[in-house]
Amino acid sequence: MFRCSEEHEQLRAEIREFAENEIKPYAFQWDRENHFPRDVVEKMARKGWLGIPYPKEYGGMGKDVLSYSIAVEELSRVDGGTGVILSAHVSLGSWPIFAFGTEEQKKKYLTPLAKGEKIGAFGLTEPNAGSDAGGTETTAVLEGDHYILNGEKIFITNGGEADTYVVFAVTTPNIGTKGISAFIVEKGMEGFTIGDHYDKLGIRSSATAQLLFDDVKVPKENLLGKEGEGFKIAMATLDGGRIGIASQALGIAQGAFESAKNYTLDRVQFGKPVAFQQGLSFKLADMATQIRAARMLVYSAAELKEKHEPYGMEAAMAKQYASDTAVKVTEEAIQCYGGNGYLKGMDVERMYRDAKITQIYEGTNEIMRVVISSYLLGKPPKKEKSAGAMPTKAAKNITGPRKKVIYKKGSAQERVDALVENLKADGYDFTVGIAMDTPITKAERVVSAGKGIGPKENMSLIEDLAKACGAAIGSSRPVAETLQYVPIDRYVGMSGQKFNGNLYIACGISGAVQHLKGITNASTIVAINKNPNAPIFKNCDYGIVGDVNEILPLLSKALDTGEKQPAPPMKKIKRATPKKEKPDYTIMVCDGCGYEYDPMVGDEANGIPAGTPFEKLPEDWVCPECSEIKANFEKA
Amino acid sequence: MHIVREVTDHLYWIGVNDHRLALFENIHPIPEGVSYNSYLLKGEKNVLFDTVDWEACRQMMENIEYVLDGEDLDYIVINHWEPDHAASLQVVLEAYPNAKIIGNQKGFQLAEQFGFKIDEDKKIVVNEGDVVEVGDHSLTFLFMPMVHWPEAMVTLDLTNGALFSADAFGSFKALDGKLFNDEVDYDREWIDENRRYLTNIVGKYGPHIRKILKKAAPLLDQIKFICPLHGLVWRSDFGYLLDKYEHWANYEPEQKGVVICYASMYGNTEQAAQALASKLCELGVENVEVFDVSNTHVSYLISEVFKNSHLVLASCTYNLGIFPVMKNFLEDMKALNVQNREVAVIENGSWAIRSGDLISEFLDDEMKQMTVLNDRITIASHLKEGQEEELDELAKTIKDSLRA
Repeated sequence: MFRCSEEHEQLRAEIREFAENEIKPYAFQWDRENHFPRDVVEKMARKGWLGIPYPKEYGGMGKDVLSYSIAVEELSRVDGGTGVILSAHVSLGSWPIFAFGTEEQKKKYLTPLAKGEKIGAFGLTEPNAGSDAGGTETTAVLEGDHYILNGEKIFITNGGEADTYVVFAVTTPNIGTKGISAFIVEKGMEGFTIGDHYDKLGIRSSATAQLLFDDVKVPKENLLGKEGEGFKIAMATLDGGRIGIASQALGIAQGAFESAKNYTLDRVQFGKPVAFQQGLSFKLADMATQIRAARMLVYSAAELKEKHEPYGMEAAMAKQYASDTAVKVTEEAIQCYGGNGYLKGMDVERMYRDAKITQIYEGTNEIMRVVISSYLLGKPPKKEKSAGAMPTKAAKNITGPRKKVIYKKGSAQERVDALVENLKADGYDFTVGIAMDTPITKAERVVSAGKGIGPKENMSLIEDLAKACGAAIGSSRPVAETLQYVPIDRYVGMSGQKFNGNLYIACGISGAVQHLKGITNASTIVAINKNPNAPIFKNCDYGIVGDVNEILPLLSKALDTGEKQPAPPMKKIKRATPKKEKPDYTIMVCDGCGYEYDPMVGDEANGIPAGTPFEKLPEDWVCPECSEIKANFEKA
Repeated sequence: MHIVREVTDHLYWIGVNDHRLALFENIHPIPEGVSYNSYLLKGEKNVLFDTVDWEACRQMMENIEYVLDGEDLDYIVINHWEPDHAASLQVVLEAYPNAKIIGNQKGFQLAEQFGFKIDEDKKIVVNEGDVVEVGDHSLTFLFMPMVHWPEAMVTLDLTNGALFSADAFGSFKALDGKLFNDEVDYDREWIDENRRYLTNIVGKYGPHIRKILKKAAPLLDQIKFICPLHGLVWRSDFGYLLDKYEHWANYEPEQKGVVICYASMYGNTEQAAQALASKLCELGVENVEVFDVSNTHVSYLISEVFKNSHLVLASCTYNLGIFPVMKNFLEDMKALNVQNREVAVIENGSWAIRSGDLISEFLDDEMKQMTVLNDRITIASHLKEGQEEELDELAKTIKDSLRA
């Protein structure tokens, strides 16, 4: 195939016309305002484009993968953000259900997705599971007819806008990728909430958000595929998704090229259009060449997929090359524009920003090379066994070792009293205090508000508490940036102000990674939050599980000593060594001799590699010291 | 001359006290001696429960002869085949060749290895939960693997409620006339030797102790006497004993307290240990104990570590390593599964100070849930006056950590 069919070109023309009329005029505004163009998505749905490659019996258009690729390309040609809305919906949100769903699941979920009545999304990435999905920490525990999901997902395209989410969670811990399963989760299920919306460099018309799961009950029948197939499903989905991203990158590059070409033909210097200056004509020649090469890669991968030929390597090549091309071409496009291209409102400026993400998401281009080389070379030879080849333990706390004393039980008053007693014993003197507006970086104590604080009038609870414990006021990023309850210089986090003092009291803060990275130097972190699974509790010294409306007034009262004396110069309070915790895997001890089977060590002499949990040992495995059978082992 | 005491109607203690043995298992000093307990049930059938160490055989034989008073011995139950209990079996068999031996499969296998000659038709092999009628008494058996040998079991006489518990609930210290727990001030006179016995002999097998305690829990109200193979017979206050066992088996300290163990060549490390002890006591910390590792038998140190929540290890450097006696203590703690303690480290050295790092690494990598407190005091040969602040800091850290 060196040319697209008539039918493909017809579809392209149709979508291009739509994009020119319905998207292009508004793309600048959506970019500036971070606006998700729901009305445009609905119009696309009516045209059937949200289900292009799916069979008509499931509400799709019954077209091929190349048609889908062209659709993403054409949308991205005018707006990369709109392009990824379609790509994430079709490739990531819908495809796993199409490929791995039962007939019931396809009827219930794929059909409305393909018809465009619902929007789809895909939840794999986590703070500790980026390129390495084996680090997935979201858990799903089967209880009766439901799986109970807990955890968080980050950077989820269409997050918050989507209705149907394919979410990956660990059903069998400690066995790595083989313990991951896929679930279909619906918006509105109890405990499933949308966390932060990200403020991105580009593709700003697309929505990207954090997903939070707090004891979300997902019906058993929403398990996609079998337990343990999640990783396989995710990888297969991403293979196809890369064709979508490659198409997006191709479209961005195409749009930037056309814009640069038009501009350079228009702009006259030295008596002729600058396009005819050799410096720029060569640039345009290179851009066009790279775009054509990218297009061939993308379309051929799409065709392979359509024909059910192996296409994983080709999709990775297409994604890698097309995204690198998009970044290069958009950069050169700005160069063609000169100073004008550097201004807001110029499409090439936006395209330049939109392009960058295509090198990063759905597998970074570094991972693309891992994928491609693994197809070329196969698996690397087995490593010589070494004592150091143990599976890595779960990631450490972001805030470093903490005491994690959490008060869940007892009355609110009892929980508050226990906290205050411990703080005083730790050496905190609440008869002294600092001004509420002390800069965060200089403050000895900070009381900080998160989104969990609720409506703005509740900020008085924070002010009262700050006053009662002699602290400055801080906040999480959304509270300063989105809700604007406090000035922007009060937000604590990696991208905001870093807290270096002693006592940090986080109220209604769930504990996003970037926030936690801003408080790593705190001597004592106190968390107050009603969600017992909030990450902040794994990163604090003391925590109270409870409603801020109830806890904060009690805490203020307990700490109030009237007018505070001015605090002496800050003396850093030393952090206590937290108690070493039990590992989260089980050691088993033999009834016949006391030998301990440690899964982190395995039983190399008998061919059991390190990292094998006891229950995964072969049935005929016996104690290597005394030959006792597997059944005669006891939990150590 | 016989030395016999009645446990309950028709059940007699026919054991022997030993003050001549210096080292139990040829490793643990027993300055207060030890008893080898053996019991004889006299009834329609006469049943012997375990025997004694070879050294004590003659006394036991005289006791048996006295109690049987001319009758024959019908059964011998062997709960535990370790030589300090089973060694005299052959002599008993020679004197009473008609006796049948009740034991489990693993036990008879050990018997064979130790060279006992037992006729096949004299063996009664029991499984867990079996009930064997011996005249007017019924016996049942619970297996207790790895407390502290694989074959160990306990026998419950369902008729009189006597539990023959093998080495479980045993203790160092000779009885010297006493027999029952309520004849002594146990918490004052006995618990330390009891703890030293349990922690050093069975300390590694906490999970297996937990298992037998769980297994035995439903039978608890049928048990009237606990008859171990060493130490006193329990006929009251089982809760006290079970509570101690829960702590030991779960590696939970009995109390908040600080055991300071130092290894010192010329007294410089010792000085730091003493200085720290004094600082701790000044801060009001209770239960502070100081031990010189070089001249305290390690079994005492193990016992103290099981009892207390906190440990301070102060050691000089020796051949670029940990001072050998301290190293031995660490190895012993590891072997006995010591875990879940908080440890502060003091190191000393005169050219290359290595002991602190090595001790911390050992605690982190070789042992379970040993928390090494951040503050470490490093001494170059001798503690300087200027280091008092460090001592104060460490004492405060320990005190804070005791509070948590």
